[in-house]
Amino acid sequence: MDAHCRMIMDEYLENVENYAILKDKVIELLRDAIEKNGIFITGIEGRVKTEKSLEGKLGLKGSKYASIDDVTDVVGCRAITFYSDEADRIAAFVENMFIIDWENSIDKRKVLQQDQFGYMSIHYICRIPESLYHDPERPELNHIRFEIQIRTALQHVWATIYHDTGYKNDVEVPKEYLRKLSRLAGLIEIADDEFRTVRDEIYEYRNHVKGLIKDGRLDDIELNGDSFRGYLEMKPFDRLNRNIAAINSAEIEEANLFGYLEVLKNMELKTLADISSFIDMNYHDAFRLAVHQLSGKDIDIISETLGLQNLCLVSILKNGGGLQGLIRFYDLINGKKPRNSKSAERIMAQAAEIGII
Amino acid sequence: MNINLNQDEKKVALEIEGRLDTTTAPELEETIANCIEGTEELVFDFANLEYISSAGLRVLLAAQKKMNKQGTMIVRNANDVIMEVFEITGFVDILTIE
Repeated sequence: MDAHCRMIMDEYLENVENYAILKDKVIELLRDAIEKNGIFITGIEGRVKTEKSLEGKLGLKGSKYASIDDVTDVVGCRAITFYSDEADRIAAFVENMFIIDWENSIDKRKVLQQDQFGYMSIHYICRIPESLYHDPERPELNHIRFEIQIRTALQHVWATIYHDTGYKNDVEVPKEYLRKLSRLAGLIEIADDEFRTVRDEIYEYRNHVKGLIKDGRLDDIELNGDSFRGYLEMKPFDRLNRNIAAINSAEIEEANLFGYLEVLKNMELKTLADISSFIDMNYHDAFRLAVHQLSGKDIDIISETLGLQNLCLVSILKNGGGLQGLIRFYDLINGKKPRNSKSAERIMAQAAEIGII
Repeated sequence: MNINLNQDEKKVALEIEGRLDTTTAPELEETIANCIEGTEELVFDFANLEYISSAGLRVLLAAQKKMNKQGTMIVRNANDVIMEVFEITGFVDILTIE
């Protein structure tokens, strides 16, 4: 290492503590801003360039730098997003938060030609403005430049594997492998677009289902996780639960009814209208079963799932499911357990006593 | 009611014997309050529990809510009488029963 590079290395070693503080501060500021903007990302990472890595860089192009201040990636932070448009959203507020050194910043996505596929990330060289953060005891933190990279999780995987090959740029890569890496980059670009499209379509579908539920068009709505969740918001089992609770003046404890989706699908209910009919057809017997079970008992608390549980039990029995049908029900709700047979037998006996079977 | 408490570093096992009702539930509530902090696994052994009333269910419910935030809670060895109470109240859907 020549004297010039040695000098830069000494400057680096004098500032290592500042770099570490700066890195933590940038991560904190970025994380706060991302959360405030309601973006869910896979992670934020940061690092201070190691002595060895800087030595390597100076060995290659040390004469390019007048001082350590010209090495703009000693401190580097990276935000990794799920979706490509979220990378754009983060980029937008990074531009507003920090002082951007535009001359050294680059959107690698825009550098690639139309027929080129390769590294795709947004790189900003920044400084922290005093208005955002200032430590009077360390004013130099506002002057040190650092790098922020923003990329999607898939772009991150590609870049990490590319980096792992040991090649620093495309020029170094043997043609055969460059072609393969380029093909993969193209694939990842398509995958990123497709994931974004799927996310948008799911979002639209959920809104559509909410609209149909609101309009009462239950016939048109296939029973699935989204529609059941939306339907539960209408509290369709509340009336039955309230009537059951009234047997012993019980309070109703909130519970998660979502586990019953699989049971309802198993009972061949296809649409939300089918659930509505299922409630109407079994309401009376579900209530009678509860009266039989709870009357005279020292019980004044029930779960919100009780109404739906009893609807399922009586429906199974009325449709000829018998003991095996009840065991299947408990297997779905509890998982396969030896006690499920006993539970089913108890219900069979109770149902016989009140004439459901 | 008797309570046997076995406490490991982050695991608490409570064996309950007798009746868990309005009279005895406060004692269990206090025992749980004293040991639940920092606990990641709370196990109730009901092999010798003969009866449970709403007061007992409420104590279990409070413990379950607390454990949902910090770990797991399991109810073991409940006999038929206790299981029937869990079923007719729908508590089978709230508690993890083995």
